[in-house]
Amino acid sequence: MIDVENREPILRVKDLKTYFYTEDGVVKAVDGVSFELYPGETLGIVGESGSGKSVTSLSIMRLLDERGRIVSGEIIFKGKDLLKLSEGEMRKIRGNEIAMIFQEPMVALNPVYTIGDQIMEAIILHQGVDEKKAREMAIDLLRKVGIPEPEKRVDQYPHQLSGGMRQRAMIAMALSCRPSILIADEPTTALDVTIQAQILDLMKELQNEYGMALIMITHDMGVIAEVADRVAVMYAGHLVEYGEVHEIFKRPRHPYTYGLLSSIPRLDVEQEKLKSIPGTVPDPLNFPTGCRFHPRCEFAEERCKVEEPEMVEVLPNHYSRCFFWKKLEDLEVK
Amino acid sequence: MTAYIIRRLLLLPLILFGITLIIFGMMQLLGPDRLLAAYVDPDTFNKLTDEELEALKEKYGLNDPMIERYTKWLNGVLHGDMGWSVVGKMPVKDALLQRIPYTAELALYAVFPVVGIGIWLGMIAAVHRDKFIDHAIRIFAVIGWSFPDFVFGLFVLMVFYSWLGWLPPGNLSLWAEDVVKSPSFHHITHLLTVDALLNGRIDVFWDALRHLIGPITTISWLWWAYLLRITRSSMLEVLNKEYIRTARAKGLDRRVVINKHARRNAMIPVTTVGGAMVINLFAGTVIVEVIFNRTGLGRFTASAATQLDYAAIMGSALFYSTILVLGNLIIDVLYAVIDPRIRLG
Repeated sequence: MIDVENREPILRVKDLKTYFYTEDGVVKAVDGVSFELYPGETLGIVGESGSGKSVTSLSIMRLLDERGRIVSGEIIFKGKDLLKLSEGEMRKIRGNEIAMIFQEPMVALNPVYTIGDQIMEAIILHQGVDEKKAREMAIDLLRKVGIPEPEKRVDQYPHQLSGGMRQRAMIAMALSCRPSILIADEPTTALDVTIQAQILDLMKELQNEYGMALIMITHDMGVIAEVADRVAVMYAGHLVEYGEVHEIFKRPRHPYTYGLLSSIPRLDVEQEKLKSIPGTVPDPLNFPTGCRFHPRCEFAEERCKVEEPEMVEVLPNHYSRCFFWKKLEDLEVK
Repeated sequence: MTAYIIRRLLLLPLILFGITLIIFGMMQLLGPDRLLAAYVDPDTFNKLTDEELEALKEKYGLNDPMIERYTKWLNGVLHGDMGWSVVGKMPVKDALLQRIPYTAELALYAVFPVVGIGIWLGMIAAVHRDKFIDHAIRIFAVIGWSFPDFVFGLFVLMVFYSWLGWLPPGNLSLWAEDVVKSPSFHHITHLLTVDALLNGRIDVFWDALRHLIGPITTISWLWWAYLLRITRSSMLEVLNKEYIRTARAKGLDRRVVINKHARRNAMIPVTTVGGAMVINLFAGTVIVEVIFNRTGLGRFTASAATQLDYAAIMGSALFYSTILVLGNLIIDVLYAVIDPRIRLG
């Protein structure tokens, strides 16, 4: 477990607001998100699609498309505010100090270049080695991520690899420059269940070996339970709960987290029917007033409709954005 | 891939056989009387008696069954004799050989600017989407897109020949033609501009080029517009792909992302359309040669068609079909070179 009190975070996101300016209006995809990432730990960011979790990670990398703008906030990495860096300085960080892997290895690899080519590219760019050396390093990386016959695979195109192999190649690519932070955006969602577990194991193993911090973005509480040290729950552009993973799984203090946890099938407890959270994620152009979760919340009262709750520390290092978190104290996650 | 190319080349004679048979058959629908008109000038034709007409039809073999006549034509072609061109007043083979360089020169000059400029402008428009330069390029494209080439050609003639006197019609000025026809002028490639340079005649080169600019622009503009639009939309689609984000996430420079990762993928649909376009460019030469009064295969084919000079029509058809088939083969091979997912077989 990470001793949060006595360590300097490697990444500190402060009040990040990322808005998209569309023809229909302003989409407040990320609306005031703050969290810290400590060296070597895994932070899980969990939420439904449209909650702003992917936009948060793209904001850190500054890879938003032209309509997306970071309107305020700070992203402090090793003492520097990434939002104040020039594009050139940012390029030296991308792929080198902060790397990212994406959801669909199918579409995240360029179909017209070989796997080796795509791995070597980052190595040559950031490490200034020649092509021959880069190729050797690429083969070593492929071996390390468990791809059989790496000497042969290095010259193959993405379509010649299976989905799991492709995701391994993506991981090899992301790790090629030994980044201190790896952001994984739903890295296992597109894979078969058996492959999912293998990829997660591989990521944990490599994380320990390289000592890097990992931000795992997922909608899957099962993945969070498997890999995360701490977890940030996102809903409609806000963080709604934030704390250590065991703490949050045992004592959720936000109705949304409570709902997410209740909707996981469990084998150890008798369940008649799986619970689900009623309704859907609100329209980002038109978030509800007050607490953004209130229309779907079984604990909502009048106050929730008009007043927006703040993040409060409900237990040591455990934060919740709910007026009535105490109501959850008596409930045990079923 | 070599096996594939050989297989496709072996198919070529079969395809040509089919095409010529169809065209030959269609011409027979005209009947022997209309076909005879090509051999006799109209004034004497009207004075001929029925017996004389019959005799002429027999003489030219126009009463024979179609298959027999096609076999005769085919046999001739296989022995290097493509028949007599009434329009060209010489054997079809000589008429074609004489004119192919003129049209080839026009087409070659048109192809490279079309492909180069069209793709280049399309890339710029896509990369600077919705900025001023994108709008400017798209207006340029709309102009090309909305003018048929024959209207555009006449417009070019009116402005640049009639008003400004810069770009004259024809292939060469009279003085330059004398130079080219003189024995001291060596015909090495048969392309006027290239030969002029090889002979060290900058003045002839410039004269030939001046005559080419109008036709080239006329042929090119429509295709520029077309290629530009396809490149732009293909590029925009590719720029939104996840692998572009992956490339950027590696810390690659924007220029590398666009020129390496995006361009090659964007070129896949462009190759298909662009290749077909280049082949169609030969069709464009017909109209342009007529409008600009240029000697060339296009104008020759047009006159042959209107005067029912069937041997010349067959000869042109054979040439254009060969270009078409070879062109398509080149596109298919290029396609496989660009996209590793395509396997020829």
